[in-house]
Amino acid sequence: MLCADGLSKSYGAVRAISDVSATFADGEIHAVLGENGAGKSTLMAILAGFARPDSGQVSLNGIAIPLGQPFACRRLGIAMIHQHFTLVPQFTVGENLALARLDGLAKPLSVSRLAQPALEMARQLGWQIDPTAPTGSLPVGAQQRVEILKNLADNAHTVIFDEPTAVLSPDEIQDLFRVLRRLKHEGKAVILIAHKLAEVLAVADRVTILRHGKFIATAPIGDVNEEKLAQWMVGDLPSALTHGSADQYPSALYLRGLSVLGDRGEAAIRGLDLEVGRGEIAGIGGVDGNGQVELAEVLAGVRRLSGGVVNWDGKPLDETVHTGYIPQDRQSDGLALGMSIEDNLAIEGRTRTELTRGAFLRSGPLREWSKGLLSRFDIRAQSVSDLAGSLSGGNQQKVVVSRVMDLRPELLVAVNPTRGLDLQASAFVHQQILDAASAGTAVVLISTDLDELAGLADRTYFLSAGRLTEAAGASSMVGGQA
Amino acid sequence: MVGLFAILILTLLVLRLPVGDSLTLLYQGAFGSEAGVHRTLVRAIPLVLCGLGVIVAWRAGMYNIGGEGQFVAGGIAAAAAVKPLFAMAQPPAWWVVFLLAGAASIGGGAAWGALAGWLYVKRGVEVVISTILLNFIALQLLVYLASGPLQESKHQLPLTDRLSSGMMLPKFNSQTDLHVGIFLALLTVVAVYIVLYKTKAGFCLRLVGENARVARANRINSGQVRLLSMALSGGLCGLAGGVEYAGVAGQLGSSFSQQWGFLAIPVALLAALNPIWLIPSAIYFAAILAGSKTMAGFVSDGTVLIYVIQAAAVLGLVAIRAYTSRRVIQTEAT
Amino acid sequence: MDLALLLVFSTPLALAAMGELVGQRSGVINIGLEGMMLIAAFLGVYVAKSTGSIPLAFLVPAIAGAALGLVSGFFTVRLGADQVVVGTAINFLALGATGLAYRSIYGTSGQLLDVAAMTKFWGIDGMVVLMLLLIPIIGFAIYRTNWGLVLRAAGDYPKAAEAAGYSVSRIRMQAVVIGGVFAGLAGAYLSLGVANSFAEGMTAGRGFVAIALVTFGRWRPLYVTLAALLIGYCQSLKFSLQESGVPAFVIVALLILSAIAVLGVVLARRVHYRNAAWILVFGGLAVSALLNLPKTVAVPSQLWLALPYVVALAVLIVVGKGTVAPGALGIAYKRER
Repeated sequence: MLCADGLSKSYGAVRAISDVSATFADGEIHAVLGENGAGKSTLMAILAGFARPDSGQVSLNGIAIPLGQPFACRRLGIAMIHQHFTLVPQFTVGENLALARLDGLAKPLSVSRLAQPALEMARQLGWQIDPTAPTGSLPVGAQQRVEILKNLADNAHTVIFDEPTAVLSPDEIQDLFRVLRRLKHEGKAVILIAHKLAEVLAVADRVTILRHGKFIATAPIGDVNEEKLAQWMVGDLPSALTHGSADQYPSALYLRGLSVLGDRGEAAIRGLDLEVGRGEIAGIGGVDGNGQVELAEVLAGVRRLSGGVVNWDGKPLDETVHTGYIPQDRQSDGLALGMSIEDNLAIEGRTRTELTRGAFLRSGPLREWSKGLLSRFDIRAQSVSDLAGSLSGGNQQKVVVSRVMDLRPELLVAVNPTRGLDLQASAFVHQQILDAASAGTAVVLISTDLDELAGLADRTYFLSAGRLTEAAGASSMVGGQA
Repeated sequence: MVGLFAILILTLLVLRLPVGDSLTLLYQGAFGSEAGVHRTLVRAIPLVLCGLGVIVAWRAGMYNIGGEGQFVAGGIAAAAAVKPLFAMAQPPAWWVVFLLAGAASIGGGAAWGALAGWLYVKRGVEVVISTILLNFIALQLLVYLASGPLQESKHQLPLTDRLSSGMMLPKFNSQTDLHVGIFLALLTVVAVYIVLYKTKAGFCLRLVGENARVARANRINSGQVRLLSMALSGGLCGLAGGVEYAGVAGQLGSSFSQQWGFLAIPVALLAALNPIWLIPSAIYFAAILAGSKTMAGFVSDGTVLIYVIQAAAVLGLVAIRAYTSRRVIQTEAT
Repeated sequence: MDLALLLVFSTPLALAAMGELVGQRSGVINIGLEGMMLIAAFLGVYVAKSTGSIPLAFLVPAIAGAALGLVSGFFTVRLGADQVVVGTAINFLALGATGLAYRSIYGTSGQLLDVAAMTKFWGIDGMVVLMLLLIPIIGFAIYRTNWGLVLRAAGDYPKAAEAAGYSVSRIRMQAVVIGGVFAGLAGAYLSLGVANSFAEGMTAGRGFVAIALVTFGRWRPLYVTLAALLIGYCQSLKFSLQESGVPAFVIVALLILSAIAVLGVVLARRVHYRNAAWILVFGGLAVSALLNLPKTVAVPSQLWLALPYVVALAVLIVVGKGTVAPGALGIAYKRER
């Protein structure tokens, strides 16, 4: 029995969880449910020793465990299966399994001997695992099995799965559930982090809900239903839809049969259809890694499409259409952190005729324009010469947003535009997007944040494995397509 | 600059040289007389031009350590372009020679640099490795050409024909080496500064070097920018070779290269890859080079002394940067 | 072709490249290899001259190499500084330090500094044997020990090594120090075993060529050594062919380049790198059979001198970076939180 008692943890100014308590019993599958940013991952990181809480206690069978020490926790039998695998793609499966349980460094390596217990466990679970296969070439589901085997074999009695279904196909999910139940029957405490209601209802015995870092409720699964859980997760749904119905917007963006390849040449988008009118906000939900980035990059003109049609007003979309792009990761794709705010704004400014003269940039007007953006978008910085890296996350995002929104784009593509922002900054970004739409911009809003989609989008779709499905109503959206 | 001075003193101490006397001698040699000042400035010219080359490439994220080879390639191109002039009955004016040599040297250096850029963009060959290999190839090519196709007309020495003093860049004082190329160096500093900070192309170059993913997200072709930056970088280093040829050396031989392309790397690093700060940085090291002539009793050649000072300064800079950035990370994480 | 001469010429390259291979497998490129070799070359001559002991003359440079590895690792691994900048600084330090020491100890007359030749049997010596033994030794260490598995994990995907409970920076430091030891041995052998002398800047780019060899040899001990033999062969040509003629140069160059071209074709058809490397190396070595060529017009030795660099570059152009490079090569690893 693992008990969390009054845990709080902040990252900088952001409060990840505050005063969360929960009890995880042996022989039970306990789901922890919440939206992105609700604090699930922080809670689990603390339980497994990867993060140290600012206050609070974790105890195992009544005995306090060391905090912030992952290897001590693992020795105590708390295993965590991360959402992001810790597998060396270049290694064989056997080598990855061996790496997790080496018997000292100065010894001859016997992959087959070291991998044996894990392979034995695989056999018991009914998994076909080829220890000589190169790990990186395996499908994601198979890689997850390796990751699970890697972490399970040392007689763990508490096993934490961090959003394990996010990357799996329906068949793979069913098989994973089979394994979770099996672990439960062996008497282990299984903790499942999730944000899809259907999955939780299918497999969990007990559920705990977090919202905005706070504990909301714990209940046996028999006492809840989808509506109840959705209400706990999302709170009262914002009375959004400030826009009219979809039909009234003049059509502009038109996608038919779009196919796009990902970075590793895999099919990321497979036959996607979408239409977005001027002034319309099309929301696209779904779990990361289902083609969101690839879709956004095609629309932003950054990535080539491998098939299908992307039209704007009946003609192929090209750079003559003023497109604004708010990329997902502001620190790696949005901003050059080592350059000044002014330089980061000039990324857009260099394309303006009034700020340039032929091949040259006009320093004076550029600076005035930057200062203007700073005050109009309320970016808190001492001067436009400050480094972008010295700003807080919210102000960094405002730099990106201001540069994109300054001249109203005809098409706006935004990916998780408020991820990691506090409430005020989020509200600001949301207002900008709504204003743009009111002024006639066609908006494609790609987000994993359901509040955000519910609050802004006229229509919401669900992106799964590179295909779109229309989602009607918040709760089925929360429930996902599991 | 204070740090640089401290490192100089530290180096002298480590070498167990009398610090006071050494500094006096260094100063006198570098700035103590008109001859000293000229000696310093003439050495600053190639350091500035090659340093600019380093800045342009490194700012784009291309670790061009092949300034030496591009310098030599520039010199070779200049000498090859000028060679037909020796056949003329009347030696042409210096500016004719220089226009020809300058243009050819830029072209030669740019080609040598662009080759490495192309290898990186198209074949994924690390610039660090390709440029250094190209350095050695250029050096051997130089020695070969100086004793082969470009050899002086009497075919006796492994040197090219020597430019007559009328064909070389004019000097301020016939007793010293300083030539009007110093103006060209200053002009080039201004030009590179303008390109980097006042033009769209220069902005894209800096953006690609700072964060290529942001550049990509804004439809900037990083490969193209990097290739061009290597060509520009090579062109600047090549120009340094051309100026050295037309201003100081007058002919090519195996000793044409005095490691300027190498020495310029720390010069540029210590100037924080900024074209304006490059001037004091280059003068500082040029002064040590020039001043160490008068220190011959202690140290035979300034080049080796400078290597040590540069290495210590760069490592010091790296350590300071690492510690400060680490502190920033720590405060952000908690 | 004198096989012993070929081995002797290849040994400094192979030793240095093998050390670099260990470092790169852990994720660190040591651009300062050239400088480490140079310092070691000087120390080797200095110790040999002052003590007369050949074992000491290798031991001291090896320790110096390890120390330099520690210094460079402190900057690149512990502080996470840019590996190119730090390596460049080490190279400058070496040029300056050896220059100053050489001149202050042996004067500036520039006279040749002779060291007694090492004892050789049938033209080879202990270091040549070590070079050959390193193929199985390094191969075993990397592929057949637990340490090697963690090392490769640190180079390919450091998070995995960290997740398994090993410190990435510690294992990288170990690799960099090992690289330093081999750089030390390589440098000492260059001055004591090959040149029998020391001259300023005598490494003449061998360290950089060794770095290129690791890429060329696809990060595998056997191929790296074979690649070193090919380049060493090119270097030895200028001695065996000094007086030979233009045709010989042209033929040799053409043969080597055509071997590289064959490699290109093979690669284009996506044949495994293994076969490609074999074809290349044997294509190059097969040239030695054709070495007794007409000796007609004297050719400037510079072309021979440039050949190793040209070949190294040509090989890199053909093989490119490829997909077998360690995944985290050249990237500093910072622990999260």
